[in-house]
Amino acid sequence: MIMKTVDAKGKLCPVPLIMTKKAMSEIKENESLKILIDNDTSVKNVTRFLEEHGMKVHIEKTGNVYTLVVNKTGNIPESTKAEDYCSVEDVTITNYVVAIQRNRLGDGAEELGTILIKAFINTLPETTATPKTIIFLNSGIFLALKDSPVLDSLIKLEQSGVEILTCGTCLDYYKKKEELGVGNISNMYDILERLSQAGNVIYP
Amino acid sequence: MKYSILIFESIHKVMKAEKILAANNIKYDIIPTPKEFSADCGMSVRIDTSVVNIELVKTVLLKNELNFQVHEKK
Repeated sequence: MIMKTVDAKGKLCPVPLIMTKKAMSEIKENESLKILIDNDTSVKNVTRFLEEHGMKVHIEKTGNVYTLVVNKTGNIPESTKAEDYCSVEDVTITNYVVAIQRNRLGDGAEELGTILIKAFINTLPETTATPKTIIFLNSGIFLALKDSPVLDSLIKLEQSGVEILTCGTCLDYYKKKEELGVGNISNMYDILERLSQAGNVIYP
Repeated sequence: MKYSILIFESIHKVMKAEKILAANNIKYDIIPTPKEFSADCGMSVRIDTSVVNIELVKTVLLKNELNFQVHEKK
């Protein structure tokens, strides 16, 4: 028998909860449901939602995707509000990484790209969901040096818990190792690990 | 911290202001124009008035024939 599957990848709370509730009402008792989720918060919330209704949840993780399997041994009353189980404790730091590969934003006029990347980085500390890690590569490293026009914003982000990594080879190439103003020098192993484990990667 | 947000007529004026501020060793940040001040997708200059004398900034920019609006933001 094919197991009914709810694909909630890319969906944020309360959507996975609502999808789960709907699917549970559509399967028969003792049938199983598979739920695919790609963020930790929704996994916790959906698990709590099902467990509080007397069901056991089996969780497996492959890459960035969690597979939750639940056997319908309990009943979720129609009146239950799934969105009430939506706790968003991780809202301040979410699972995305910003990888800055040059000292400009976008293609086109150089002076415009230069001003846009400054505005981009200066906006990051103002957002409610700051990235988990910011990575500087190639000419992007110039933005992490002591004389960077966005150094204050990067220091503010680091103090609020954002990890800042700068490519060591790139610092070496541009002979700027001594001038790093924020964060840590890193290598391709760490950088690849951060990129591969991120929920989303933004390349500005 | 208290900031003054300087809003210019165009991105070209913002770039000109940047050059002037840098040449005068005045500390500034470029930020997207806060939504409460303008619906445009524009750029503004942010001055941290706890470290920079805003009157000096105004004088330097006006001397270079730049027009701008000043808004206060915490």
